[in-house]
Amino acid sequence: MITITINEKKITLEKPVTILEAARSAGIHIPTLCHEDILEPYGGCRLCLVEVEKVPRLLSACTQYITEGMVVRTETERVIEARRAILEFLLINHPLDCSFCDKAGECDLQDLAMKYGPATGRFAEGKRKHPESYDDPLIVRNMERCVLCSKCVRMCEDVQGASALCITNRGSKSYVEPFSGGRYNCEYCGNCLTVCPVGAIMSGLHRHDYRSWLIEREVETVCSYCGVGCSLLLQIRGNSLIRTVPKIGRGLNRGLLCSKGRFGYDYISNSERLDTPLIRRNGELQPAAWSEAITHIARRLKEIKENHGSDAIAGIVSGRCTNEDAYVFQKFFRGAIGTNNIDSVASLAYGPAQRFFERIFGQGVTANDIHGISNSDGIFVIGGDPTGINPVLGLQVRSACKKGAPVVVMGYAEGLKRFSKHAFITNSTTETVLLASLVSEIKKKKSLPGERPVFEEIISGLQPVPLKDASEMSGFGLNDLVDTVDTLSNMINPSIIVGRDIVQTSTGHMSLLFLAALAYLLNGRIYLLSELPNEQGLLDMGCQPDMLPSGRPLTIETFRTRCEETLGIAIPSTPGLNYVEMIEAAHAGRIKALYVMGEDTVQGLPDRNYVSDALRNVEFLVVQDMFLTETAQYADVVLPSLSWAEKEGSYTNLERRVQLTKKAVEGEGIEEWKIISEMSKILGLDMGYRSVTDIFTEIVRISHIYREITYNDITSGRCMWPYKGGPLRHDVHIEGIELPDIVSVMKNADESGVQVRREAHLFHSQNASRYSPALQSISPEPYVKMSETLAGRLSLRDGEHVKVVTEAGSITLSVHRDPCLPENVVLIPPFEKGGIFEITKWKVNPVTKAPALDGNRVIIET
Amino acid sequence: MERVLLRNTESPHSADIHEYIKGGGYISLHKAFEMKPFDVIDEVRRSGLRGRGGAGFPTGMKWSFAVADPQTPKYLICNADEGEPGTFKDRGILEKNPHLLIEGMVISAYAIEAAWGYIYLRGEYPRAKDVLLSAIKQAYEKNYLGDNILGKGVGFHLHVHCGAGAYICGEETALIESLEGKRGQPRIKPPFPVNEGFSLKPTIINNVETLANIPCIIEIGGDAYSKIGSPECPGPKLYSVSGHVKRPGVYELPMGVTLREIIYTHCGGILGDKKLKAVIPGGISTPVLTPDKIDCPMDFRNLPRVGSLLGSGAVIAFDETVDMVNVCLRITKFFEHESCGKCTPCREGVGWMRAIIERICGGAGRNGDLDHLMEVSSNILGKTFCPLGDSAATVVQSYLGNFRHEFEEKIKNR
Repeated sequence: MITITINEKKITLEKPVTILEAARSAGIHIPTLCHEDILEPYGGCRLCLVEVEKVPRLLSACTQYITEGMVVRTETERVIEARRAILEFLLINHPLDCSFCDKAGECDLQDLAMKYGPATGRFAEGKRKHPESYDDPLIVRNMERCVLCSKCVRMCEDVQGASALCITNRGSKSYVEPFSGGRYNCEYCGNCLTVCPVGAIMSGLHRHDYRSWLIEREVETVCSYCGVGCSLLLQIRGNSLIRTVPKIGRGLNRGLLCSKGRFGYDYISNSERLDTPLIRRNGELQPAAWSEAITHIARRLKEIKENHGSDAIAGIVSGRCTNEDAYVFQKFFRGAIGTNNIDSVASLAYGPAQRFFERIFGQGVTANDIHGISNSDGIFVIGGDPTGINPVLGLQVRSACKKGAPVVVMGYAEGLKRFSKHAFITNSTTETVLLASLVSEIKKKKSLPGERPVFEEIISGLQPVPLKDASEMSGFGLNDLVDTVDTLSNMINPSIIVGRDIVQTSTGHMSLLFLAALAYLLNGRIYLLSELPNEQGLLDMGCQPDMLPSGRPLTIETFRTRCEETLGIAIPSTPGLNYVEMIEAAHAGRIKALYVMGEDTVQGLPDRNYVSDALRNVEFLVVQDMFLTETAQYADVVLPSLSWAEKEGSYTNLERRVQLTKKAVEGEGIEEWKIISEMSKILGLDMGYRSVTDIFTEIVRISHIYREITYNDITSGRCMWPYKGGPLRHDVHIEGIELPDIVSVMKNADESGVQVRREAHLFHSQNASRYSPALQSISPEPYVKMSETLAGRLSLRDGEHVKVVTEAGSITLSVHRDPCLPENVVLIPPFEKGGIFEITKWKVNPVTKAPALDGNRVIIET
Repeated sequence: MERVLLRNTESPHSADIHEYIKGGGYISLHKAFEMKPFDVIDEVRRSGLRGRGGAGFPTGMKWSFAVADPQTPKYLICNADEGEPGTFKDRGILEKNPHLLIEGMVISAYAIEAAWGYIYLRGEYPRAKDVLLSAIKQAYEKNYLGDNILGKGVGFHLHVHCGAGAYICGEETALIESLEGKRGQPRIKPPFPVNEGFSLKPTIINNVETLANIPCIIEIGGDAYSKIGSPECPGPKLYSVSGHVKRPGVYELPMGVTLREIIYTHCGGILGDKKLKAVIPGGISTPVLTPDKIDCPMDFRNLPRVGSLLGSGAVIAFDETVDMVNVCLRITKFFEHESCGKCTPCREGVGWMRAIIERICGGAGRNGDLDHLMEVSSNILGKTFCPLGDSAATVVQSYLGNFRHEFEEKIKNR
């Protein structure tokens, strides 16, 4: 215990903290400009100088730790005099252009000058000049306003780990600049904007088009981009969303954001948004009234149900839909249509992976707090770049690395290049083989703990793959592999981060088994990357062909009947088709009606031609979306949907944290759940909801996982698995897992040629980002990444255009050379035009029923 | 007095290890290795040696702090970033007597149990770099450096790192930042380098001259050493004398010699036998003195009594013809140029002071400028992150205090 006196007030603290923290704990405010809680103390601005008894100098409160008996005074004449002096210094070279500075009204310097600053300036020498920089599409730099607190640089370096900013020059000539000079060419997390106390680093998105005091409302909600679910503040004037900003320390992101959360919100006000339903008449989509569209859909569905049976109808839900919308959608299909043909994007990778791990380790095995990652002593990343897919989760990996945890990456992770100890950029077969080999080696070093005898039997039964063989086959050095085995074996509480690429191959089911074995041997926590905000929620809501809400198999009669009784509906007893099976069935003409809610199917599955054919084959296609997507263009009826900021609901993130999303602005349209329940009513099932709360109440009643949760609980952002501690399904279904014949995989692997893999791009996810002008402006041109050797052999320079040809098609892309890539892999991100799905053929993993993107050999034509 | 730091440096080959050994070099190292590390520290403590970089911190005490810290490894850094204008004393050792420094560093490393050492060399000393590198090579060859020095199982490796021209990197924590590959800016103290220095490990940073004193202390013993020069801050001292003296150069004299003796006895008086107008006793960051103060003994204790500091012992003499306002401007320009920019008062305030003085020099001075200048300097003083800004402010105040009439004249006769 340490007792100190601040401003004659006695304060007792448990541990030594800085004077600043001590003062704050006592409610005493000390002004600062360069201090930020998530950054290390800096002591640069000198505004926090305070008087400490027996010390002749004034001390900076942000750097000075308290000691027993210290007597501090923060508002003496001398201190106030010093603050005035510092503020005068800060203002001498400041342009004092508050009248048109976007920061005015929320500027720390302005506020401090008001409170402590001199009334008049005495500086009679010329001010420093530094032209404002507009070189970047998103970030405007005005270095005349900069107070050199260096928070942006420290944020970029120490927290974001992007190291894109630096202070150039020295002394009074110092200024902040991106390393690349003009454009930032960085990750565009915008966290530098968050910490800038003045108008030196500003967002270019709303330059000069708002004044901070004109913001009328602020709504704290959850970001709509990925499965992390960062907390955001939406600032609104009238009915328009002015900007999104984070709040330092708030939410699971603790105030950090990524490019999508920070800049990607402008899709909401994109002029291409649909505002009226469209019905195809004489081959053309024409505007229609809501009531007409809804009646039309209901009538057509009824007809098809009568003519072809309920199972000729299927529904697909997007990961952007809220729990409430998803729940109502599956209830509509099961109760009103009478089919289990209901699935979601989660079944493309996230779902199968989770299902596999839960089968072995029990429900909730992937429900881990993302902050655990930064506390682990080792990280294994496979199948996706966490810093691209779930950037804020990716920061946890970087943070762990900075604390000394080794990071092993399998697959391509652009954002972890500088942070990984071992990195193997594999193609799909070598990925499985390497995993098998790592498991067989680590098995020798680590004893099986005996917790799960059945699974241990499986592990023991796995065919051994010597490192030497794996090395020969994959081309990775044997020493590298040996080192990796050592690194992994030395981890005590590692985090294992799994992305979709591992699932979406024809050997994905085997990789999952080896990965489970690895996780078991290393005692690792599993994290599943999720590209959409509510994939987990879709699974929990029962948007699966064989599962009822809360992951209960519908083939188990007790579960089914309980559900039927509670809801007063009949649920078919046979599982329906999953997402890819629906497309296959549509292609074969067996699906007559398809209802796609929020998903751009053509852009989300391999082989665009195959999927387009399938959609064309469907007799009646309904698409509900914010935009006229490629999928919507095939539709018979298109319904506009509301954006996440225009409706209420809840998302369940990849940690299985349930969070509330709030309505911030009024949208042109009707909430999904209302549309569905209208249709349901026409089809004879009156769901009777008056609000989303009614739906949530029903979810809570039917789902044993979510039981007793209220909106109040989830508002806090701390509603974590296992929520209210209900009984969980711990039964494990290991029987039936086939031991993979890895030897024949190795024997039959076709390792010749160059294969294409998907790059998870930081600025281009497969959802709203493509309608965000801001995100599009960062990296607008589709590209193919290839190794230096391959590019060298073809004499290709960066930016040159090439034709990338596969069996499935060809696209023209610009070349990005990447020295990290091996010769036999090229990477293409899922751009809307010129994306990977245009040149991958239709292929499905036989076990997981996930699409498989492997085996697409490419030829580069110059 | 027999020369210690510049012993045998008249020889053109004084930097050669054979010459050094011939003159009795590396004997202290043998002697030190016969002692326990603790006893070496004790000897240094008893010698009363105070750091020669300018702050005058007792060297033995500094060492014992690092030794008391249980963390390992420990590092030894030699601060050879001799950037203080007017100072060229370390250069004498670096170029002419590098093995004295190396020997001093090996002994120091042995005492504090450091296996790695760095010499952070001023970037503008290319010759010293060459000399040091070949001296280090020779020392390795003779097994005075390496994994098993003199077969005693003591390991010490020495590297030379060249600075890139920033004055601030002479400040020990900025030096460490720079050595770690970062922007040279001072760190928050505490923790001090003795606990969290290079790579956040206990680190001793000593000036070249300080380390060069170590072999002598071991050779003659701490007690004998403490009898050289001023009783409170004993030892030999290198004074680099420049300006309007007849024989400028580096002089090795005992601590406590007076400025008058340096200027008039050793340097032969003022050029052209003109009158002395002012003298800077310890480099430009120390306040200027008027001729009535030159009987003050040059040491850490006595100079503060007359309003200045020993600093690096760089004496700069100005004769009666010198325009002191111009001197003040030149010095302030230097501080503005060398301010690292981390803290507000130094970054903004020093430039402001420069602008006012420059205006006065340029004949555009106004009434009230001097009071204003005084206020700006007071606003810097005591509020900066490191001593650089403070020095700039005190120095300006000393010129204003001692030569206010020259400033006033300039304003009046614009």
